Amino acid sequence: MNFVSKLKLILVSVFIITYSQYAQTDFDAQYDFAKSLYEQEQYFDAITELKRLFFFDKSEKYIYSGNMFIGECYKQGGKFSDAIHFVTFAQINAASEKEIYDAGIEIIRLNILRRTTSQALKLIDSLESNPEFESKKSELNYWRGWAYIFSDDWENAAIEFSLIDANHELKIFSEKVDEEQYSVGFAKTISYFIPGAGQFYTGEYLSGLISLGWNVLWGYLTIEAFINDRVFDGIIIGSLLWMRFYRGNFQNAEEFALQKNLEMSNKALNYLQYQYQGLKP
Amino acid sequence: MKWEKADFRYEQPVEQTRREYSFEAGSTGEFLIKSIANAYWFFISDVDGDNCPFRPSCSTFFIESVAETNIPQGTLMFFDRFTRDMNVVKKHKHYPRVSSGYYYDPPDLYTLNENQIEYIPPSVIVEDE
Amino acid sequence: MKWILIIILIGTSCCFCQSISVDFNSPENIRKFADHLFCEKDYLRANFEYERLLGNDADDTLLFKIGLGYSFIRDYQNGNNNFSRITSSSIWYDDAKLQQLKLYFLLGDYKRAASIYEEEFEIKENKYSIESNKLNNFIYFFGNKTLPLKEEIIFPFNEDEKKVVSSFYDWKSNPPYKSSFTAGILSAVIPGAGKMYLGEWGDGITAFLVTGLFAFLAYDNFEADHDTRAWIFTGLGAFFYAGNIYGSVAAAQIFNARIEFEFNQSLNVYLSNKNYFTPEYEFCK
Repeated sequence: MNFVSKLKLILVSVFIITYSQYAQTDFDAQYDFAKSLYEQEQYFDAITELKRLFFFDKSEKYIYSGNMFIGECYKQGGKFSDAIHFVTFAQINAASEKEIYDAGIEIIRLNILRRTTSQALKLIDSLESNPEFESKKSELNYWRGWAYIFSDDWENAAIEFSLIDANHELKIFSEKVDEEQYSVGFAKTISYFIPGAGQFYTGEYLSGLISLGWNVLWGYLTIEAFINDRVFDGIIIGSLLWMRFYRGNFQNAEEFALQKNLEMSNKALNYLQYQYQGLKP
Repeated sequence: MKWEKADFRYEQPVEQTRREYSFEAGSTGEFLIKSIANAYWFFISDVDGDNCPFRPSCSTFFIESVAETNIPQGTLMFFDRFTRDMNVVKKHKHYPRVSSGYYYDPPDLYTLNENQIEYIPPSVIVEDE
Repeated sequence: MKWILIIILIGTSCCFCQSISVDFNSPENIRKFADHLFCEKDYLRANFEYERLLGNDADDTLLFKIGLGYSFIRDYQNGNNNFSRITSSSIWYDDAKLQQLKLYFLLGDYKRAASIYEEEFEIKENKYSIESNKLNNFIYFFGNKTLPLKEEIIFPFNEDEKKVVSSFYDWKSNPPYKSSFTAGILSAVIPGAGKMYLGEWGDGITAFLVTGLFAFLAYDNFEADHDTRAWIFTGLGAFFYAGNIYGSVAAAQIFNARIEFEFNQSLNVYLSNKNYFTPEYEFCK
């Protein structure tokens, strides 16, 4: 074979191999099209186009990235269970440890959003026990902290963030929320001893005063009835009236503490969602 | 029918436990009843704890019954409701529940107007108002 | 020469081991994808794809599948709209009318169901005349129309179905309602008896005890010359007594509403198990 013939052969080969790289851009274009729909917030249509890609692409090149993408679309639509289904499928078809890990983290984040905290914690433990992800401890502690935040356990959340950094922003934030919240147990307990005290503790002074007043009144009438040998009257007033207001007193103490704690938690969650700049579920 | 981006919030839903003391009324009689009801709620009902297993509660049931019918009929409906409240057995086989766990027992069922009765089986969970 | 052949072989296999160019928006490919979605039970998506074809490659099979898709996701109105677009010359016309009859049932619009039966099945020839007749006869059980003779109602059904339909007929012609008047009178004579008559034993016993308690307290206080207390207990007792009578009458109405609800529910369960006497379509085999 002379030099010119060899050169022609090489050029033809290069041309054929280069062309083969462009033969599959229809699927790349379809993937990009789905991405553009996602960016325009047309999540339903983005999923349709990704499913179309899966249907026609027999090479399954996009099986991981496509399913992760579908999961992301469902997440934006608030359909967390559907999102988990597709991200799990992506994880099953992951081609590398990194992809397995990334899908695993995404499933954890979806479980946090769905408030299935025990499932999120289990998955975090599962990733943590895998020696391949030894270096990801901090990240896993981070998501564990978020799982506790979403289950309203600010104390444990602070502990998890402190394992990352003693001065972590979320550790300080969680500690502050935990300190501000009322102790429900304490509110109930002091109400057992002094009716109305629990309401005072939670700042509901008027309710506490009224509750104290009723308990004093019915308590006095009950005791007075027994002292005067009006046993039946004493039993009726004691059981139907005094007990009713006594029980109502610590029920209210508990309810006020829970309600105010919920308001504080929601305020904190609102801040985290709209003002916190770090990574969120 | 295509779903769109969800307005998902991290905040947990808050049950509306705070009562709204309204004095809006269409007549003097209604104003009087609302005043008595508000006084009862403020000084007694909101302080003596959660005693009514039903929604609407017995006092609210009375107000709504009177509003839908008249004072005598509303009063009879209330006394019947109070009797049923005192029954300690097998309510779960009779009444549906609201999402907060209380038994759902609206006054519409007891106006003696058959067309107003919308039967809901006990297995159903009704949306809390 | 052999080198040329080897290079050409490698080059072309590189082209084809990747995917071939695909026109995603060709009618044929849209259809294939839509059929796939339909068989995956992603009916809403399948319908959007089928609807893309209605302009150019439309056929009645498409309209029928779209209608079916909407009815599977309980969008009965849209399902009906699509079925009604199928023309009388289509092979799917009879199926579409039967599906419409079914959807009117599911919408609870028995009047429209009856009229579609009269227009499409009673006076015209239709391959589903028996099925439609069965479904139409059920309208008598849901509505308040006068029941025809039992033999007329059960006529189109097979032997197994006849037993069930016959029991529905018996219920409808003689429902086990309770009398509000009887409940009221019983409670007037013995407080709580009216509620017990309705099977509300707990409420009945409670009403009896409460009324009895206040009556006793009133009597006891009158005997002890505590007149003020006695009158208070008398008043309360009277209210509880009157409330018990009123409550018994109301409870009878609720009892009857419950009976009717349970009957309608059993009808719906039966029809659902029978798929409303409509055929199962094998689009996915």
